[in-house]
Amino acid sequence: MSDALKELIYKIADDQFILGHRNSEWTGFGPMLEEDIAFSSMAQDKIGHSFALYTMLRELGEQDPDTVAFTRNANQFHNCIFVELPNGEYDFSLVRHFLFDTAEALRFEMLLNSSYEPLALLAKKIRGELRYHTIHANTFLKKLGSGTEESISRLQKSLDYSLPYAMGMFEPSPYESELISEGIFGGEEKLREQWTKKLRK
Amino acid sequence: MYGGGTTFEGIKAEKKDDPVKLAEFEARIERGEKIEPTDWMPALYRKQLIRMIEQHAHSEIIGALPEGTWITRAPGFKRKMALMAKVQDEVGHAQLLYSAAETLGKSREEMIDDLINGKSKYSNIFNYPTFTWADCCFISWLVDAGAIVNQLANAKGSYGPYCRALDRICAEESFHLKYGHHCVIYLAAGTEIQRQMFQDALNRWWPPMMHFFGPSDKISVHSDTLMKWKVKMGSNDDMRNQFLDMYVPKIRELGFVIPDPKLNKNEETGRWEYTEPDWEEFKRVINGDGPCNKERLAVRRTAEERGRWVREALRSPKTVYQMPLA
Amino acid sequence: MKSLDPRVNRLPEIDIENSVSRKDPLDQLGTYEVFVQPKEGKPFQHEGALHASDREMAFVLAKESFTRRFQCISLFVVRTTNVFVSDTTEDSESVYDRIKGDVDKGGNQQSYEIFNLYKRGKQHVHIGSVSASSPELAMAAAKNKLPPSKTVYNIWTVKTSDIRFTQPDEMDLWNTLPDKKFRDASDYKGGDKLKEFLERSK
Ligand SMILES: [Fe+2]
Ligand SMILES: [Fe+2]
Ligand SMILES: [Fe+2]
Repeated sequence: MSDALKELIYKIADDQFILGHRNSEWTGFGPMLEEDIAFSSMAQDKIGHSFALYTMLRELGEQDPDTVAFTRNANQFHNCIFVELPNGEYDFSLVRHFLFDTAEALRFEMLLNSSYEPLALLAKKIRGELRYHTIHANTFLKKLGSGTEESISRLQKSLDYSLPYAMGMFEPSPYESELISEGIFGGEEKLREQWTKKLRK
Repeated sequence: MYGGGTTFEGIKAEKKDDPVKLAEFEARIERGEKIEPTDWMPALYRKQLIRMIEQHAHSEIIGALPEGTWITRAPGFKRKMALMAKVQDEVGHAQLLYSAAETLGKSREEMIDDLINGKSKYSNIFNYPTFTWADCCFISWLVDAGAIVNQLANAKGSYGPYCRALDRICAEESFHLKYGHHCVIYLAAGTEIQRQMFQDALNRWWPPMMHFFGPSDKISVHSDTLMKWKVKMGSNDDMRNQFLDMYVPKIRELGFVIPDPKLNKNEETGRWEYTEPDWEEFKRVINGDGPCNKERLAVRRTAEERGRWVREALRSPKTVYQMPLA
Repeated sequence: MKSLDPRVNRLPEIDIENSVSRKDPLDQLGTYEVFVQPKEGKPFQHEGALHASDREMAFVLAKESFTRRFQCISLFVVRTTNVFVSDTTEDSESVYDRIKGDVDKGGNQQSYEIFNLYKRGKQHVHIGSVSASSPELAMAAAKNKLPPSKTVYNIWTVKTSDIRFTQPDEMDLWNTLPDKKFRDASDYKGGDKLKEFLERSK
């Protein structure tokens, strides 16, 4: 059970860490001051979540968060390719933020019931933060998705480019059935279904 | 963040100001009251304030660049989180300051246009590069410390919206200062390589740090009017002296050597003595010929240009621009 | 661009020389005023302004621009153009003295929020709401219903329906604010390290 759990936490932590790192690159380069600030905060939240998760791994016998996050080699990371793609233009960064954070909010919603208490507690704690991320993503996507011809086509292009990569967020763990039967996590398949349903709306 | 290098021009009150209104205005400042956007104010007051607050705002947004480059390379979680938050604050300071300047009647767009077209200045010090992490730590600690000296003084100025923005800013700066000092203490207490790294940064940054407060009083244009109106709150040399008083001992405490053999406090006068900074270099850099001027402006232009489609899509004929209230 | 900054090196090449002077003078969004409630029992207070496309976005952006540190339990935003501003008085003259206690003769009654300025140079503070048929009459109603105990120098009124409030299900947005110690000076105490260093280098 411990291997399954560690694998899950590594995956979530690495996704958050890498995407937070990517998004932090926008600080000072954003499209307008207020959005620069908001986007930076959400990147900080992600790095913060990854820190909480690496700290959890420490309790499970892994090395300390700094060592784990900053000294592993690329092939030791468990993140999906989607989060490590270069930032590109703001349309792609925003669409990725929307797709990822929608999934992230749902993932932690599921983890509220995790049998592994530290995960359930973390999920409860950061619920408001994740709510903010999705409110932000929805507001911007809606606005830019109905703005100018340019903004609409930019978002569409980024969405088309992102979707195949986004599926990587739901790559099942080698321990998937164990995670589900132990009640640690409801499973990637279920998460993907919920995510797809949410996007349709 | 901002230095005393603010350039003022035309420093005589214009004759055409209504003498009764002018007297009321000056009496209010004399009483220690704030001027609000709806109050009458001399044209020169408005103009100089816009210039000063705008330069301050530009310095914040440009100032986010030399430190911002280290966000992705900051050593470890604690430093990374802090630096992200700190650079974000600097962007936030620009946001607050542009708003304050907007209440005087110049729109943010006009100000940003003037910045990227080179018509408006920003603090000279950000035209120098951050080669190493220690350069970044120098800025976080000492450049911010210098900025705080200026900002605390200006927070006692006469224009309400600027003072309120500065109150917020100063509250955040205390985090920057503590964080910066923390970084440098750890470098000082670290390995020989780390110590040397900070010593090198100190050697590089000391001359621009001395420039930061603006030309010496001997050669800078003096304005009693702006002092009386509480636009300019202290002379460049006074600010520099205050900074040296507060931080030279702290730098020396850590065993670092300030690269100026003449630096010494004259206990009789209470003033610091130092090698006269190279004001020719200062002028050269402020006029565009520093190591990073071109890059800094090009980055801002690129950011504006890349963000344009976003702002265009967000614009709507229903929400027209109006000056903020206070 | 060739730079020491890897982020700058990753920026796309843009023909900036030819694109700067073209800036559209309308490239400017609306402005919104932001009010923040720091904690239970404290009134909302004006904190500043920001640019946004509509009030929903203003709310989203206000949260991180104005409440990412210290204390907050709720915020609201309103378009600058929807704030109705009274005269400004000084010394001992209360601006309410200039407002006639007109009786509101009905008409379309709506709810208005009232904000008082108690000290020049400080922020406007929310004091409550009244029902009236116009912003002017809302000030008159406030004079009767919410009589101030201190001198008031300026009043703002805003139609309640023009405000984007924090919704009941959004109250948890600030739940983790107390944990964000990394944004606070108190998280960077270097005293012990410094002492240890000074001991060592004696
Ligand atoms: Fe700064
Ligand atoms: Fe600043
Ligand atoms: Fe700062």
